[in-house]
Formats: sequence, structure tokens, C-alpha cells
Amino acid sequence: MKRTWEQTCFIAVFLAPALLLFTVFVAIPGARALLYSLQKWDGLSEPKWVGFSNFVALFRDDLFRIALGHNLFLTVTAGSATILLALFFAAVLHRRVRGSAVFRVAFFFPNVIASVAVALLWLLLYSTTDFGVLNGFLAWMKETVGWPAVSLPIPFTGKPYLVYSVVPMLVWTATGFYMVLFLAAMEGIPESFYEVAELEGVSPFGQFWHITLPLIREVVVVGVVFLVIGSLKLFEAVWIMDNEWPSKETHVMATLLYQKVFSEYNVGYGSAVAVLMFVLVFVATLATLRFSRREALEY
Amino acid sequence: MLSLLKSAILYAVLLVWLLAVVMPLLWVFAGSLRSSREFVEDPFGIPWLITGSPYADNPDVDTPWESVVADFRKAWVKSKFSRFFFNSVLVTTLSLVGIISISSMASYVLAKFTFPGSKLVLLYFVSGLMVPAQLVLIPLFFQFTTLSRWGTALLAPFGYEVELHDTFTGLITIYIALSLPFTILVLTGFFKSLPSELREAGIMDGCGEYGVFRHIMLPLSKPGLVTAAIFNFLGIWNEYLFALVFMNSDSHKTLPLGLAAVSIQAQYRTDFGLMFAGLVIVLVPTLLVYIVLQKQLTRGITVGALKG
Repeated sequence: MKRTWEQTCFIAVFLAPALLLFTVFVAIPGARALLYSLQKWDGLSEPKWVGFSNFVALFRDDLFRIALGHNLFLTVTAGSATILLALFFAAVLHRRVRGSAVFRVAFFFPNVIASVAVALLWLLLYSTTDFGVLNGFLAWMKETVGWPAVSLPIPFTGKPYLVYSVVPMLVWTATGFYMVLFLAAMEGIPESFYEVAELEGVSPFGQFWHITLPLIREVVVVGVVFLVIGSLKLFEAVWIMDNEWPSKETHVMATLLYQKVFSEYNVGYGSAVAVLMFVLVFVATLATLRFSRREALEY
Repeated sequence: MLSLLKSAILYAVLLVWLLAVVMPLLWVFAGSLRSSREFVEDPFGIPWLITGSPYADNPDVDTPWESVVADFRKAWVKSKFSRFFFNSVLVTTLSLVGIISISSMASYVLAKFTFPGSKLVLLYFVSGLMVPAQLVLIPLFFQFTTLSRWGTALLAPFGYEVELHDTFTGLITIYIALSLPFTILVLTGFFKSLPSELREAGIMDGCGEYGVFRHIMLPLSKPGLVTAAIFNFLGIWNEYLFALVFMNSDSHKTLPLGLAAVSIQAQYRTDFGLMFAGLVIVLVPTLLVYIVLQKQLTRGITVGALKG
């Protein structure tokens, strides 16, 4: 079909706003960040080209190594707990437990709360003041059963503990989302598979292991990618819980980036962190996708 | 017998998680009903507002109702939560309108027309999914003055002046631009599923390209548009980092930004009544929206994930 002048105009006019916005506000800044990471710049004076020395400085800097370590720690701990719990709940609810709708709706809810509000909520739960409910509970336990034998209150959101205290919060928030994700995938599995397994006397766990899990494998992999990306970009949880001013003991990459750029005006350093985050997200995504494509099961 | 025991255990685990999810929320709501005196004297009981205050005979102590009203009034008026709330509504609504109109136009063209480089354009947009927001954040911050100047030059014929720093225009523009990759990916998939014959029939009947889009394709793609809107709604309503960087003046803060600022101040002053009130003001709309849109929300979010 030959294209008329009207059609060409139509295409151009309809594409222009999206192309313009995306180019100016995403593509160009993205490319610029790569350049910034090769410069030494305070945001005001003339930038100086310094090659890869920002990246070298990064890996020599304890601050960054610790922050990266925190990200990896949170990815592994909170990530695996989330995936396991979500798989478990999805498998249980998939087998039509009574009241499964209630569980699904309730479990998903923390995911829609603003992460700032979630962090503040947990800050209050962890509080060392009179109403701090977790410390209150531990005090009650200690009084009644004599365990745990620690001095209370525990400063859960104090410097050395904060990174660990973030883990339950992340799991609390994310589990419902991944459960719903896995559940949606499980609903696509034909019921007959389970009927046959039932006849063959396969146990519920066997059914999960040999039928459900292999068939939703791709979605689980997608879930893992999401989790890894999410924990690499983590910001609000640490930022808010450490009163908008994290330090060496609590930094993650995103909070370090923010502080370096917007309060120390060390733009090159901050951009190098951003570029590394980008590379890590990219590699994590590609690696998991490559890994998952190996043997997709058809049914 | 054994299976009964097994399902009892499964239920117990489900119930434990249910409590773990619900109790903290109930606890915040209960906390928002407590006076500061109550936080010290009876922090874990049922709020005095319900059971009655032990100081009911003492006229010098505020009644529970008075102190709760005082806390919420302080949050809503003095700490400007009313302002933050209005700002969030404004920013979210305008962003969504922008996202849906701009993305649906681009997606329709990318799904229904092939022209030299059309695949490449789609790939260009979708590649944005890989870019973490933090990467874009830094250059945007330092280029905003330049971009404002460009914008002013571009819109000069219409008599507009563009200022992106610390303005709703700036924040909304960023939100729209950042949500393009995902929205275009989902909507292109959706438009592709609509039969192309509809377009040809519309052209035959003299609708014109724009008429076909506006009166045939757009109404048919409503489910896709709703899914995309809901997915973006949550992200923008809850967004914190960009608002933190770009909105400096108090009167421009969105709800998450205002909540964080007020709460951290309140914490230093140990004004916990204000903190709880602020949290509840943020949680209630979220809860209401969730109750109404719960089905669409879970579907929208998982569709996005499964397609992505």
C-alpha cells in the first residue's frame, strides 16, 4: 500500500511528543551520565576529564565497597526469603484453600503503600520508646519465659543493626507481589496435570516440585530479575530509616549516590555509582534471561 | 487425619502471615488515636478514645477525642498535609493524562504502521526499561536550567515561559518521560491485538487517520489503557526520589515527600501523635483506592510483569 502524505504527517505528529520527551529527558541524560562518570566536576566550574579514575576511586573507597556489600546482602537475604515465601503461599492458595481471596488481597496490600510510609511504619514498630511494639513484645517475652536474654530495648534502627532490620521490612512489602505474580502463572497450568498426578498418588509436595515449579519457572526467573533490580536500586528504606542522613554503616549505593552528588557536589563520583548500578542491572537482567531461555517447557 | 493436620498447619502459617501484614497497620491506626500521655502510660492497650480515659474526671487533661482531633488538625493544617495531598492529586492526575495520551498515540502508530525504522523506534523506547532512574537523575538536575531555556524557546510562539526547577511542570514532565518505555511496551502489544481491518473500514468510511484512532481504536483499547494507567498511578503517587531532588519549596511537596519531611522533624521533637496522624493520612487513601481497585491493581501489575 502506498503511503499518502496525510499518513506520513499522521505518523510524525503522533510519534513526535513521545520521541521528544524520551530523547530529552531519558536518552540524553542517560548518555550524559556516562560522560559525567569520566569527569571530575563540582556542578559549577569547568568539568575536567579524568578517564576511569572515578571508578578506580570507587573500588578503593570503603564507603562504596560497604554500600555495595549492603546491596548484595539485601539481595541475597531479603530476595531469597521473599521468593521462597511467595512460592509457598502461591502454591498453598493455588490449591483452592478456603478463604484464599482474603489472603491474596491482604498479602498484596503492603506492596501498594508508598515506600516512604512503609519505612516510617517500620521505624515506629522498631522504636525504642515506650510504644515501640517490637521491643515491647520482646520485653514481655523476657519477663514471662525468660527469653531472649538480651538487654532491652534493642536499637533496631541504630547504626550497626539497621541493615539487618531492613530485611524483614522488605520481605513484608514484597512477598504479596511475588505471590500474586506466581499465582497468576500457576493459574495457567491445566487442571488435568494435577488430576493425573492425584491418580498416580503423587504427594502435594511432589506435585509442586514436579509439575508446578517447572511450568512456572520462567515467571520465577522474571521475579528474581525484578527482585535483584529492586534491591540494587533500593533507596527509601535506608534513607528514611536513617533519618535522611545515612552514613558508612548504613549506606546502600543509591543513598551514597544521592549524598555524593546533592550534598557534596562530587558529580563524577556519584555518576560513576549510577553507571555501575546501570551495568549491574543490565548484567543481572541479561544473565537471568539467558539462563532462563535454555529450556522453556511447552504445554 | 494426617491431611487434616497438614491443612491445619498450612492454615496456621497463612494466618501468621495475615497477622504479620494486618497487625502493624491496625497498630498504626490505633496509635493515631492515642494522646501523647497515652503513648507513655498505656501504649499497647485499646485506645482510650474507645475504652474511656482514666483522666475522665480531671478537667486539666484533654479528653482523648480532643487530643486526636488536635493531632490530625496539626497534621492537616499546620504541617500542610492538605497542601501535600492536593499537590499529589494534581501531579498524579496530570502525569497520567499526559502518559496515556502521549503513549497511546505513539503505541498506535508503532503497532499499526510499518515505516522505515519503525521497529528501531520501538526498540529505542523499550531500551529505556533498562535505565535505572538514578542514572537519569543526576544529569537532569544539572541540565534543568538549559532545558528550561529550550522549553521557553520552543513554546515562545504560544507565549509560555517554561521553568522546570521546583515546579509541577518539571516533575510532571519527568514522570511522563520516565514512564514512556513501559507504557509504550504494554500499549503497543495491546494495539497489535486489535484487528487492522477496523482501520481500513474506518478509512473507507471517510473517518481519516485521526478519526480512526480517536473514535475506533481508542475506545476499543480502553482495558489496555486502564491497565497502563493503574500501573503508572501507583508508581507516581508513591514516588519519592525525584520529588526529593526537584521539589524544594514546602508548598510544592508531594505527599510522600511531605510525610517524610514532617515525620523526621516530628521524631526529633518526639511528637509521635503527629507522626501517627501523618501516616494515617497517607494510608487511608491508599487503602480506599486498594479496596475499590484491588482486582484491577493486581491484574494490571502482574500483566505488566508477565509481559515485560
